Amino acid sequence: MTHSRQDLLEWAEAGRIAPENLRPALEVGGVLPDRAEWRAFLDRLLLWLGVVMLCASAVFFLAYNWQDLGRFAKFAMAEALVLAALAVIGWQGVERIAGKAALLAAALFTGALLALIGQTYQTGADTYELFAAWAAAILPWALFARFPALWVLWLALVNLAVVLYFQAFRGVLGILFGPERQLWLLFGMNTLALAAWEGLAQAGLAWLRERWAARLLATASGALATALAVIDIFSKDDIGVGGPVWLAWLAAAYAVYRHRIKDVYVLAGGVLSAVVVVAALLGRLMSDTRAEAGVFLLIGLVVIGMSAAGGFWLKNVASEEVES
Amino acid sequence: MTATDRQTLWARLRDAGLVEGEAPGVAESRSPWFVRVMLGIAGWIGALFLLAFVGVGFTFVVKSASVAFVVGAGICAGAALMFRAIPRSDFMGQFGLALSLAGQALMIFALMQWFGHSFTAAALAIALQQALLFVLVPNFIHRVWTSWTGAYAAVYALGNAGLHAFAPAAVTFGFLWPWFAEFDHPRRGELLRAAGYGLALAAVQTAVMHGTLWTVWLAGLGGSEALGGEALLRLGNLASGLVLIWAVLRLLKREGVGLGAGHGRIALAGAGLLALISLEAPGVGPAVAILVVGFANGNRVLAGLGILALLGYLSHYYYALHATLLEKSALLAGAGLVLLAARFALRRWWPNAKELRHA
Repeated sequence: MTHSRQDLLEWAEAGRIAPENLRPALEVGGVLPDRAEWRAFLDRLLLWLGVVMLCASAVFFLAYNWQDLGRFAKFAMAEALVLAALAVIGWQGVERIAGKAALLAAALFTGALLALIGQTYQTGADTYELFAAWAAAILPWALFARFPALWVLWLALVNLAVVLYFQAFRGVLGILFGPERQLWLLFGMNTLALAAWEGLAQAGLAWLRERWAARLLATASGALATALAVIDIFSKDDIGVGGPVWLAWLAAAYAVYRHRIKDVYVLAGGVLSAVVVVAALLGRLMSDTRAEAGVFLLIGLVVIGMSAAGGFWLKNVASEEVES
Repeated sequence: MTATDRQTLWARLRDAGLVEGEAPGVAESRSPWFVRVMLGIAGWIGALFLLAFVGVGFTFVVKSASVAFVVGAGICAGAALMFRAIPRSDFMGQFGLALSLAGQALMIFALMQWFGHSFTAAALAIALQQALLFVLVPNFIHRVWTSWTGAYAAVYALGNAGLHAFAPAAVTFGFLWPWFAEFDHPRRGELLRAAGYGLALAAVQTAVMHGTLWTVWLAGLGGSEALGGEALLRLGNLASGLVLIWAVLRLLKREGVGLGAGHGRIALAGAGLLALISLEAPGVGPAVAILVVGFANGNRVLAGLGILALLGYLSHYYYALHATLLEKSALLAGAGLVLLAARFALRRWWPNAKELRHA
């Protein structure tokens, strides 16, 4: 649809389609939604907006910690929400869109229920334990539901648990668990998740072939690799592993997304990452130079040259992709 | 799309009597939206280094507002000439972008010095500057940037004048205009789309940031209190909802669906419902408007921005201080249930043709 759209608009811009014929042409090309697509859109909009608002409502309600309502009433409410969502899944089935929405709601309500337990009984548990327990609780659903959004939620919870874990122990074990260790763990986890996602999708799990989720993971993994390389460049130690690991990440991303899966989005991220790391490296190498202004100009020109060359290359790869 | 697909599409258009002659070839390779985003970010990184070069190497430039403005304007003029002289060069395009961004920063620095006494005047001057650059510099990424920042500067001026309650409605109205005109003026398509994406970004930012966060931000910059108190805030929220209803009415007219028709009534009822929700949660109207217009124009990037705006607004709504969490929870629960009931009604009165066939 998107490519037809671009072609039709370009033809109209070049005068090959008369202005008054553009809309009918877009309709013939299937770019504009027909009645059935409008109906499906409204159906999904109302469903997802309704479910998201209900989930947000439950979270807001429990966060308010209303004293006039007894704890048993609150537990009954939170449990009823989970049960209601599960009942909808039982009724609609997890393959239908309403079932999927209910499953996501059940997963979010489960988190609200766990938060309520922590709030009510003051168990002394740290916040990271809430997110870890939440991730553990919804793991079976994620394993069986074949629903990418639920896996993305699960991965977000695990990431949050790791970040909060390091926040909780920063004061006690600051030296052992410094910010770099946290970044390494997050990088390892997200890269592993990305590799597993792409590998399983390639192995035949069609429901994992939704590019938005893989791209989200690739963005997280690439951003963390870039951050580690930049930290390494500016660290006082001469040799670190951040740079080599970043290089390996870049090479692997090129091999996979240029030749096996062909995803220009990840390649574009790789180009941006290379621009950032090279700018940081040049800045570090020339930090002792007296001609500061010249260094800034040089780095600026290198950034512009690299990104322009990257943009040219990506444009060509993208047009290849379209033709393939 | 392959060359064969393109030929097939052209043949279908010819059969429908919409085009004549042979199919045109592909003029040049196209960059997907994320490559343009990457180029924009890299352009900014390059611009920061160029600015540092000017700041360190030519300190006299940043010591005087007049000199900074003249140098900035000169750099922007140079960039504009570069874009016009060599429009197809990737390197010159990126160099021109970074140069112009650095020039804009210098001019904004000067404007802030000149209009330091009035933030509204400074914001309006920046909006005017960006509008001029939008017209004069013929580059898509540059135009998205100037449209975005120009619109946001205007929103700032509105907010600083105490009218921030009307900001989401105003910027969403501005965003809708180029997208409704997109198919009516195909020769100016690229210009309209650049304006449309920039205004969409400003609308997302305004919708998500609306409320307490916005007030805190403005207060930090010496902004004004809201004019007219609670009554004007309510009017602003009403305007957000009305913009959504207007958008749906325009779309119904464009699609040739009368208000007397069942489908038209269903769409208008849905818009009315969301407008009502916007009275208490004013970011919902603009976010849904972006999503709906993106879908109506077959533009996935725009629709995706609308979804992000909705999720972003709901996250921000948690921190909005105009109501307690209990009140917000009640509003969301009511709204959620009504929307699900509306979906039930939709499926009853406008059944899915496929489901009917299977029944």
